[in-house]
Amino acid sequence: MKYAWLGCVLLCRLLAAAPQDPEVNVNARYTVESVILSGQGWTTNLRSETTDKISLGLRHELVALIGQKLNPAALDSLASNLKKELSAREVTHRVVRGETPEEVRVEFEVKPAKVSADLNLNQFVYDAKQGWSGSGAAGLTAGSHSVSLGLVSDGDWLDERYAGFRVRYEDKRLLTDRLSFRFQVESYHEQWNSSTLTALASHTELTSEAYRARQNFQPSLTITVAKPLTLEVGTRLERFEAEDPTAGTLASDALFTTLRYHQRLDDSANQQDLDGDCTLQAATRAIGSDYVYSLRTAGVRYQFRHGKHTVTDNAWTGMILGRAPLSDRFVMGNTYYLRGWNKYELDPLGGNRAVHNAVEYRYGPVELFYDAGAIWDAGQQPIPRQSLGVGLRESAFSLAVAFPMRSGHIEPIFMMGILP
Amino acid sequence: MSEPSRGSRISRRSWLLAGLAAPLFRARAADNLAVSFDGDNLHIASPDLHFLAGKPLARLKDGGTVVFFGRLTLFRDPFVTPFRRVDARFVVSYDIWSEKEARFAVTVPEPAPRTVLLPASAAEAWCIENLAINASGLPPDRPFWLLFDLRTVPRKDLSQVLGDSGINIKNFFIEFFSRQPGTDDPQWTRPAGPLRLADLVRTSGRGKIG
Repeated sequence: MKYAWLGCVLLCRLLAAAPQDPEVNVNARYTVESVILSGQGWTTNLRSETTDKISLGLRHELVALIGQKLNPAALDSLASNLKKELSAREVTHRVVRGETPEEVRVEFEVKPAKVSADLNLNQFVYDAKQGWSGSGAAGLTAGSHSVSLGLVSDGDWLDERYAGFRVRYEDKRLLTDRLSFRFQVESYHEQWNSSTLTALASHTELTSEAYRARQNFQPSLTITVAKPLTLEVGTRLERFEAEDPTAGTLASDALFTTLRYHQRLDDSANQQDLDGDCTLQAATRAIGSDYVYSLRTAGVRYQFRHGKHTVTDNAWTGMILGRAPLSDRFVMGNTYYLRGWNKYELDPLGGNRAVHNAVEYRYGPVELFYDAGAIWDAGQQPIPRQSLGVGLRESAFSLAVAFPMRSGHIEPIFMMGILP
Repeated sequence: MSEPSRGSRISRRSWLLAGLAAPLFRARAADNLAVSFDGDNLHIASPDLHFLAGKPLARLKDGGTVVFFGRLTLFRDPFVTPFRRVDARFVVSYDIWSEKEARFAVTVPEPAPRTVLLPASAAEAWCIENLAINASGLPPDRPFWLLFDLRTVPRKDLSQVLGDSGINIKNFFIEFFSRQPGTDDPQWTRPAGPLRLADLVRTSGRGKIG
């Protein structure tokens, strides 16, 4: 009997386009006035506000409900997609009366997962000059708390190839929604390029000596000053183990603060994103640092999207005063800055002054970019450099060929991988 | 072909089974099932049965659609041997812009879709009235038993099983075998019997339904 019922119920549901058909629900004659998306401690009215919690495509689907006749079947499908995107335990929806007669408000409520596990490949790139770099992490999230353990092998970002692990704990809601806490521990072993070691031998005054391992302990607090402005304050406690084990360990203990701004402007056809950040990091003997320096960076990124067209401009500059360890110096000629150039050729020790601008145009997956920038040390004359590139990019996956623009010869660099 | 008549004798085994089966039904003495006969079909009425309540009502008030699946079964002995059955589906939604009195839209999708807009008790009665079973060929003096069963069709099953890339077999099994009956999907059962056509209240003919 039970299985007969089961069969009937299944058959019913297979036929049950009917219950989901818009004309079956009496409320299908009403017009959707607004769509509200809410979760634990947050609410967004998609008629007047925007949210970066969900993808652009899903947001457009939700916004598209407004002004249309209610379609109950679409609500089930959207709730299912929201659940997937937000890794939520459950997403429920309800339809309530709108402000105006014959109009209704659709409300989606997101119930977060109690515990969720993630396995992410954060970065995986191949650079024809520097070889493979990659990082991945496994994480657990319970409510506002998350812990992740990651493995890294990176020969791209810095002048050193570093490999090791990274552990991170984060509480996204420390007492209040405006405060979050993060504690990160990193431990890496290093490999050095011969050109870096050669340059180090002749410029000992610029930076630290080469080290065989480094550890970093970095607690920080992020405060939402006023949406969309956030302030991060923390300390960066780094330990460098000298190549010669008898030489002991040197410390680079710094306080840092970063101010970030993110604004998204949407209209029916276009989307504009504006991001800005500036960082001040200071290491002094007062907090036990063997290196004394201050580091300042500032960056602005603007992106404009219209249909399949995307234009992005990313401007960034940085300056270091004092003697910073090698891992804190600026590097260009990697897969982020002055793409196509060889970082060891540009500056094998990195620089303490840098300026860079990247312009990218994308049509669907096809990408063109133009990088311009300079890296130098205080007292030197900066040499502006440029590169051009073409590639394919879909989501985080990128495949590109970059051409450094210099007189004499063309030596393209091939890059591919998953970029954040 | 008409059912063979076996007279009015009920075996002791049938009575024993009936005695054992009776507590399984959640019917209470107050939950009477009135059965009438219009010459072709058996009709039921259960004024005490209110299924537009609880979780289904909450889902309806949230603007959702609730599908009720009703079944009438005739037994030749006390709920052991079924010999005729009819199923019907009722699609219910609640008009969230109802003015003074709550209005429920009830649609019977088959055979030809029919929709009414009624208050709760009238909507419940309309559903039950539309669930009729053909009694042609049943000897007037032969006892039979009738079981009315009503349940909601689970809302989540197909939405979780049918994904973008087709049917997710894993979710299908998880959905059907992890659900505890009675928690999410309310069920109402009402037995009646023994009955005889000759004893039933005769109503004017309403045409063949069941």
